[in-house]
Amino acid sequence: MNQSQNGAEAPYIRIANISRQYGQVRALHDLSIDIDKHEFIAILGPSGSGKSTLLRLIAGLDRPTAGRIFFDGVDVTDLPPHKRGIGMVFQEFLLFPHRTVRENLAFPLRMTNQPPQMILERLDWAEAILSLNGLMDRYPNQLSGGQQQRVALGRGLVTHPTLLLLDEPLANLDRELRNEMEVEIRRYQKQLGIPFVYVTHNQEEALSMSDRVAVINGGKLEALGERQLIYDHPPTPFVARFVGKSTRFDGAFDAASKKVDLQRYNYSFPYEEVAERKGNARVEVFVKNERFELLPSRSGSAGIPCTVADVVLRGPFVEYILETEADERIIAVQPKREEPLALGTKLSLSWNPSQCHVFPAGR
Amino acid sequence: MSEAENRLNRRLFLHIPTVFLVIFFVLPLIALVVLSFWQTENYKIVREWTAMNYVTLATEPAYFIFFIRSLFMAIFVSVFSVVVSWPIAFFIVRHGGRYKLILSLLLAVPFLSGEVLRLIALQGMLGPTGLVNGVLLKLGAAPLRFIMYSNSATFIALVYLYLPMVVTTVYLSLLNFDFRLASAASACGANRFRIFSEIVWPLNLSGTIVGFLLCFIPTLSAALAPRFLGGPNGVLYGMSIAQQFGESGTWALGAAMGVVLFLFSMLVLGVFSLGIDLRRTGFTGMGRQ
Ligand SMILES: Nc1ncnc2c1ncn2[C@@H]1O[C@H](COP(=O)(O)OP(=O)(O)OP(=O)(O)O)[C@@H](O)[C@H]1O
Ligand SMILES: [Mg+2]
Repeated sequence: MNQSQNGAEAPYIRIANISRQYGQVRALHDLSIDIDKHEFIAILGPSGSGKSTLLRLIAGLDRPTAGRIFFDGVDVTDLPPHKRGIGMVFQEFLLFPHRTVRENLAFPLRMTNQPPQMILERLDWAEAILSLNGLMDRYPNQLSGGQQQRVALGRGLVTHPTLLLLDEPLANLDRELRNEMEVEIRRYQKQLGIPFVYVTHNQEEALSMSDRVAVINGGKLEALGERQLIYDHPPTPFVARFVGKSTRFDGAFDAASKKVDLQRYNYSFPYEEVAERKGNARVEVFVKNERFELLPSRSGSAGIPCTVADVVLRGPFVEYILETEADERIIAVQPKREEPLALGTKLSLSWNPSQCHVFPAGR
Repeated sequence: MSEAENRLNRRLFLHIPTVFLVIFFVLPLIALVVLSFWQTENYKIVREWTAMNYVTLATEPAYFIFFIRSLFMAIFVSVFSVVVSWPIAFFIVRHGGRYKLILSLLLAVPFLSGEVLRLIALQGMLGPTGLVNGVLLKLGAAPLRFIMYSNSATFIALVYLYLPMVVTTVYLSLLNFDFRLASAASACGANRFRIFSEIVWPLNLSGTIVGFLLCFIPTLSAALAPRFLGGPNGVLYGMSIAQQFGESGTWALGAAMGVVLFLFSMLVLGVFSLGIDLRRTGFTGMGRQ
């Protein structure tokens, strides 16, 4: 799936069929991604899925066992990191403890032999853009986590690299600061016009910042596409489970009536076709938590009967924890209304068939 | 734990090492200083206050020569040991894999035998009929004269004695070093040489200085190695001190020499410890205090 906007032209960054094997462990397997010049791409995957490995390969800190990597049409697979012109921000920051903030920021500039005038200019620029005023002469151990984060980001950005790689740079920050930094990072990316490859295991982070999302699982590319597309039309059950918060139901597809029947509930909805399989088939159904429709329970209504067990207020949203007759708990997210539903309210749960995702079971 | 109890504990813990230091370090040192201001005549101590010993040391060129010889020997041995230790320690840390522990224990094996024993073994290796020259003679080649009872032989012996110390210290320093910092430098555009000179070396400088001193200080006062291997022109300062307390029976002069050596060693320690700032090493890397 190549979503490159300029069609025939070679992509700015091309990762072609790379694999990385550590002994018996297949950290990455036959993975290809093309990245455009102005793109913010998020690499999303669970722990151990090979995200950091991919980033290390792009940076040149590690070599692939197979496959090639191209920057602007040039094969860089065998180039050492310092000849690739990249910037990188590490999960653990990895600031140089024996250097002040100023020296840490100047380090990549000095290593790439920039003239002193340029170094001064860039330091001023970084100080301003990352609001590091007053911190420039401190040592890393005299900074808070968020400040260290900004310095780490600055160190990746000062050289205006061809590509910035970020490995879970916000994982060590608290939520407040994280939201703030998310906005900031995206702003820098737009301002600089260079591609950012942003690794995270946090799907919210991936969706909130990126243009495109690459989902990897067990070293393989599960999905790659516009964030909205990945969110609305997950191509695999894994993606449906991993991206966005959703609830999973077991069901069966009846080819004759073109309907999906849920196994544990007396609920069915029309469904056109389950891909790849003919005839009756067991299926998995995923419904995003915010796409449930809640109606007051009436005798004879078609939905899944349930009661409100708990209500969690989340700013402009309300999370209803619903208990079904099969003793399952389902979370339904609704926009906050004047008066949230009371505990114990009996409801009927349903959804628009075109808004849920159905996959053949046991894939 | 209550505040008072806490304070008591802290005092106890501070006092035990203090008592230890006073008994085993400060008292003998005072005795040495006192003795250095007395005199010895005919193997007897004369308890008269005088600075004669220090005047002798300052005016008699032999002692100055011994001292300078010792100083250069210590510098050469320590610098050489540091230079050799780095690649060895680096290799073990980076490529030792699961043999790391075994390899580092192997470093300590020579410590298992006594110093005299090791020196006698070396004498057997380096002497005129020793292993090296014996083999050379058998092969019809000329023997290596410079390793027979010379300052070179002392140098080899001292390196042999103290190199394991330095390797172990540098090894421990590198073991604690966060090599991801080297990756970070690499991603910042640094080549191998600059990664080493800007990151790895400065962040392991403290460990290296400690290793250097652990070699330098005992080498400066070395008495046994030059005695076994040094030959006629190989008298070192420490060996001379030993002679004052032994054959010549001039204990007071020996004490004065000891005091000078002690003061000089303290000076060296002081100067070098200025270069050690643990907060700026990889030990507290990742920015934690
Ligand atoms: N140097 C290595 N030697 C052996 N196995 C490794 C090495 N580095 C990574 N692996 C393995 O490769 C797989 C992918 O690791 P990687 O660090 O890329 O995961 P990740 O997606 O970054 O996970 P996380 O979100 O926890 O950081 C894991 O199974 C890991 O154990
Ligand atoms: Mg990782």
